Amino acid sequence: MRRGLAGLLAVSFAGKKGFETIFGGANMASAQETETGFAGATDDEIVLGMSAAFSGPSRGLGSELYRGAMAYFNHVNDNGGVAGRKITLKLYDDGYQPDPCVRNTMKLMLEDNVFLLFGYVGTPTVTRVLPLLKKFQDEQVYLFFPFTGAQPQREPPYGDFAFNLRASYRQETAGLVNNFLAAGKRKIGVFYQADAYGRSGWAGVRAALDRHGERLAGEATYRRGQRFTGSMREQVEILKSNSPDAVICIGSYAACAAFARDAVDRDLRVPIANLSFVGSENMLQLLSDLGEDVETYSRYLVNSQVVPSYEDTSIPAVREYRELMERYDPSVPEELVQESYSPFPQSFVSLEGFLDAKLMTEILRRLGGSPDREGLEEAVFSVDNYDLGIGERVSFGPDRRQGLQTVYYTVVQEGRFVTLEDWQGWLS
Amino acid sequence: MKIQKLFQRTRFGIFLLFGVIVLCTSALCIYTVDTQLTAEYETNSQNIAKSVADASVDILLNRNLATLQSMIDQFVEIQGIRYIYITSENGEYLAHTFVPGIPEEILASDHASTEPVERSIPGLGDFLEVGSPILAGVAGTVHVGMDQDEVALKIQRAIGQQVILICIFLVVGVLASIWLVNLAAKPLAELLAYAVNIAGNKETGNGTEDLLGRDDEVGDLARLFRHISGRSPDSGATGAPPENAR
Repeated sequence: MRRGLAGLLAVSFAGKKGFETIFGGANMASAQETETGFAGATDDEIVLGMSAAFSGPSRGLGSELYRGAMAYFNHVNDNGGVAGRKITLKLYDDGYQPDPCVRNTMKLMLEDNVFLLFGYVGTPTVTRVLPLLKKFQDEQVYLFFPFTGAQPQREPPYGDFAFNLRASYRQETAGLVNNFLAAGKRKIGVFYQADAYGRSGWAGVRAALDRHGERLAGEATYRRGQRFTGSMREQVEILKSNSPDAVICIGSYAACAAFARDAVDRDLRVPIANLSFVGSENMLQLLSDLGEDVETYSRYLVNSQVVPSYEDTSIPAVREYRELMERYDPSVPEELVQESYSPFPQSFVSLEGFLDAKLMTEILRRLGGSPDREGLEEAVFSVDNYDLGIGERVSFGPDRRQGLQTVYYTVVQEGRFVTLEDWQGWLS
Repeated sequence: MKIQKLFQRTRFGIFLLFGVIVLCTSALCIYTVDTQLTAEYETNSQNIAKSVADASVDILLNRNLATLQSMIDQFVEIQGIRYIYITSENGEYLAHTFVPGIPEEILASDHASTEPVERSIPGLGDFLEVGSPILAGVAGTVHVGMDQDEVALKIQRAIGQQVILICIFLVVGVLASIWLVNLAAKPLAELLAYAVNIAGNKETGNGTEDLLGRDDEVGDLARLFRHISGRSPDSGATGAPPENAR
């Protein structure tokens, strides 16, 4: 029955873009041709499946996350891999759209037979994949470290099928709200993507305000896939009519940059906060490309991050990240490139991908010489007080499926994002 | 010689009759299709609202609004459904599909009402909105907006196809009736020409034998005219009086 479905999928997916990246690997054999009998793992490699945005207006996110992860996996593979096995990524592009992501996931699970899913990008995509993981729960295919802080993969009924490294949107929005309120900015508006991601962030802001007895000052939405060239004037006018003290944006970098641009142009000059998903460098790049003094638009930005600043070389993991990024300078396979993209030497997103890969490698090591999916959950739960090299230690357990809890805040200074220490000073 | 006057009224009568049939059939068709399709779209919307309401209970109780949004995003892809929004029991908008914001007309409406209501939203269009309570209304209400312009377009398309078919029948019917009338008029025209020739004591021409040989009323009349005129049978006719005249 399953083989039949896999065969059907093979026909359905003929011609779709997929690319297998071997990091220094010599064995190109499919994971299905396993010699050891463990799904997704042979004597020579462990195959991880990744569906992410490599095309469309959010392609920077998938590309950067992939680059960061690759930098570490390359390093691991060059040093003998995990118990002699190279770590291989099977890649598919979903363009940050739910339906392609679901199709990619079915292919990864049923046809490519990957060991686990890794590094998915986005809430609308991941929320649609979670029911698939539940449907095939007997196969024990877990989703590791998706690039989203939404709640569905952290809570029942799907929380058992995913492991998260990053802090949640709920934590990011709560932190932003708390800091704004502490600085006397009580009227907070929300600009968000009209989908599960936007709703997740909206719910976080609403809940945080509710704890302080406050309500949303206003809200405006945009459709997923919005490009920087599109207008956000209507959204700005809607929010402006509510005279907010600050606006929290829950969106992708192209839309949020367009909103920041139009807000400044239409005199909505209030602090504009963005979540980690925005891809700070991509956003800043778009605003810089406007040709104006970059500070005109960027001075109002405050972005929350779930990893520390990649500029802070006092952090051991950041030093390692910078060194490996420079050494390998990974790039997205040409087969997946539809539109040109200029990667950043370092970015918050690629640092997150790097840390994801580092923890993933550690978990695979803990599986020992005979990696199988049944032992995966136990291996994850054995991660207790693990030092990832960023100061905050990582622990997992049956009731703890998120590794990191810290949220960082950054503002733009001299054309780059730096850590914000003094909210009051910045807001004043 | 053409027979014009005799069939003028007949033709007019046929046009009139077919016209009335087409108009009545079209009117009935328009009414039926419009009523049934509108009712069907409304029922579909209500079913969707109910489906969302039923599926929302656990999600709402778990306060999982991202999943709730993901669900309504999928429903709004159904043809004819333009917007969906979910309000809490307190009237708070928990999830919706509006861009760039919730319209004033919606904000001003009764959030708990589940009665179908027609809305005209500037910039968006005309909608028929139906609602369905979640947990009998204690957990909120689901509202589904059906795009009336899109539905009207579909109905017009369906009606148009039916009316085109009826019009094709009309044209074929009229052409067929004209052909049939002409079929009847041709021997009458020949009879008239024959009668005129006889009355004028002129040569009756080549087609006289065919005319006198017909076994219908035209043939009978031709033979009667010939008999009355006293022309010999060898001048192109039998000379015997028609059966009806004996």
